[in-house]
Amino acid sequence: MEITKFMKKLSSHKGVSDVALIRDNVVKLDLGKEDSKDFFISLKEDYGFEHCSLISAIDNQPQFELVYHFSVIEGSIFIKDSPKTVMIEIHIFLERDTPTIESVSDLWFGANWHEREAYDLMGIYFLGHPDLRRVLLPEGFAGHPLRKDYVYEIHEEEW
Amino acid sequence: MAEMWISMGPQHPMTHGLWTLKVKVDGETIVDADPELGYLHRSVEKMGERRKYFMNTTLTDRLCYASSTTWTHCYALSVEELMGVEVPQRAQYIRTIMLELQRLASHLMWAGAYMPDLGHITGALYFWRDRELFLNLLELPSGSRLLYNYIRIGGVKRDLPDGFEEKTERILKLFEQRLDEYADLFENSKIFRMRTEDVGNFTASQAMNLGITGPNLRGCGTKFDLRKQDSYEIYDEIDWEIQTREAGPGYGDCFSRYMVRIDEMKESVKIIRECFKKMPAGPTMASKVPIRASGDAFRRTEDSRGEALMYLVGDGSDRPYRWKIKSPMFTTISACPHYLKGYKVADIPSIMGSIDICIGETDK
Amino acid sequence: MSSKRIGGNPSLRRGLGSKTTDSEKIMEDPPAGDWLALRSDQFLKWIDNAVYNAAEATGMREVVDRVTRPIFNYAQRFSPHPLHFGIMCCAIEMGQASAPDHDIDRLGLVYRSSPRQCDVLIVNGPVCEKLRPKLKTLYEQMPEPKWVVAMGECAISGGPYWDSYSVVAGADTFMPVDVYIPGCPVRPEALMHGFLTLQKKIREKEPGLFLRR
Repeated sequence: MEITKFMKKLSSHKGVSDVALIRDNVVKLDLGKEDSKDFFISLKEDYGFEHCSLISAIDNQPQFELVYHFSVIEGSIFIKDSPKTVMIEIHIFLERDTPTIESVSDLWFGANWHEREAYDLMGIYFLGHPDLRRVLLPEGFAGHPLRKDYVYEIHEEEW
Repeated sequence: MAEMWISMGPQHPMTHGLWTLKVKVDGETIVDADPELGYLHRSVEKMGERRKYFMNTTLTDRLCYASSTTWTHCYALSVEELMGVEVPQRAQYIRTIMLELQRLASHLMWAGAYMPDLGHITGALYFWRDRELFLNLLELPSGSRLLYNYIRIGGVKRDLPDGFEEKTERILKLFEQRLDEYADLFENSKIFRMRTEDVGNFTASQAMNLGITGPNLRGCGTKFDLRKQDSYEIYDEIDWEIQTREAGPGYGDCFSRYMVRIDEMKESVKIIRECFKKMPAGPTMASKVPIRASGDAFRRTEDSRGEALMYLVGDGSDRPYRWKIKSPMFTTISACPHYLKGYKVADIPSIMGSIDICIGETDK
Repeated sequence: MSSKRIGGNPSLRRGLGSKTTDSEKIMEDPPAGDWLALRSDQFLKWIDNAVYNAAEATGMREVVDRVTRPIFNYAQRFSPHPLHFGIMCCAIEMGQASAPDHDIDRLGLVYRSSPRQCDVLIVNGPVCEKLRPKLKTLYEQMPEPKWVVAMGECAISGGPYWDSYSVVAGADTFMPVDVYIPGCPVRPEALMHGFLTLQKKIREKEPGLFLRR
């Protein structure tokens, strides 16, 4: 499937908005939280995004933003006359009071620890995750340090 | 027989860094595994939010201690994408040379660390001897042995010193001869192959879903190298091949991962030679580099260990609002229950050594 | 008296029969009969009584110390056995120092993987909150006499990670450090100099007592 055709198909999905090409091989879109799981299933099954590159959580004060990067490795989407492979960047916005979203680690195992890290450092709860506990910080650590309102002591003044 | 958990690490000769591997064994056979990270979590992402864009190159240097240039380069590339900086042609060539020299040093580091795992101390000494050659080369333009801080946002710190090309050529020639010697010592050695062949297998489709990239994925026969698939710098202008192992019995095992890295080193030598041949004259730094940025951008590069990705969000100030690092080893280690299952306890050093762990980037 | 003896291999006990009767007379300590079957705390007690007190009382301690002190000190300072333990960048340089180019083994360094066999702990990287209890355990597992080398800026003061929420400000905040080697990362030459400094320190500060309590 050519990338332009792929973009047209994307817009027809439920919850998808603002589909744009931000680089010659990267498609960016916004996704509603409720329709996310259905979209991710079709992303893997229909379009062949086999690889979950990254899940980043951003504290936008007040709301949270989740950015998913998926990439094609041997999939069916291509760019004409180019060896480049296609990536997709998905933005999902979460309310600060309910930072929960459905987990995708049953679709991509590679997303498992990215979700654990987002929970550990940013406090996002992934529903249906098989093993949601801290991964980098020790058990019993208070707070989620990558949130902007996290306060900690440092030894010297800021320069 | 009763199952039990064995804990290895954080101080254990197998671990290659600070992490704990807990394996559940039934007799000698591994039934389950539970890796544990975080002993080296330095909070680089949070610290980056307090520093200016150009200051963060010191932190990215220290992300991965075996391959610092590739991470600084990934950061510089992302910031350039965010700010819209055009890098001069000569700087791109110099960057490519430095990246490939770093890849050689990193793969040699891995080989030197892998050999003692298999009980081959001589191999470690040989590979470390060769790594010293490349460290000396990298020291010439940058002035440091391990953490170079040579690639900056908008170009490189300074031009290559006089006589760098001749010195590189001399060392590459010596290195190629030695690689041929090592073929007899390792690949043709029956003991080495017995320890590595048909151990730690995973197939390409498994690896993609598990999030494994880089030489470990190419060892399964997948032609996926971001230097070609998401080309950056001047890799698309240079004639080189993606190194994979052909599908067959036992592919995707430790031996194929070893061979992919050895072949990649030979390919890197080729790339460096061609870069020197084609290198144009000109400036090595972009004329104007802004210090503020807004919006978001990401770039991914082929690190020595797989797909490195940095995602940056700017809010219009001179410091990043959010800086997210994707480390290839983070997901590869998370998948270790999948490729350890079914093998013996004695295979653990062979399998975990072959995937080339670097905890510095993993724990961030 | 023999009824109070703790267990052990009876054949061994029989073999040592003639010797035990001699020591029993001097010591008056019941379980010291066959020292091969002793637990470690009992052994220490026995050695205190049998060797130290006896040597002190007879004045032999002074003589033995004077003779063995230079030998033990020599052995300690020329064969430091560091723990094979890498934290971060400096660990790579530590490994590279053993490579043929620098060959730090000629200073007598032999890396051992078990803390029980080591007398030098090289802290070669930032100590995070999660690592600190483990590092402390490693230090406590090492037998006396032991020394700690803080290698690199991170181990000295936190280094580039001074404003991190999870990095401890230097290894000396929770364990005694003998030698500081600055550098980021420490070059192999600097590591060698650090170990030469440690040798100097052992020669001057550590008497190398044989009969220490």
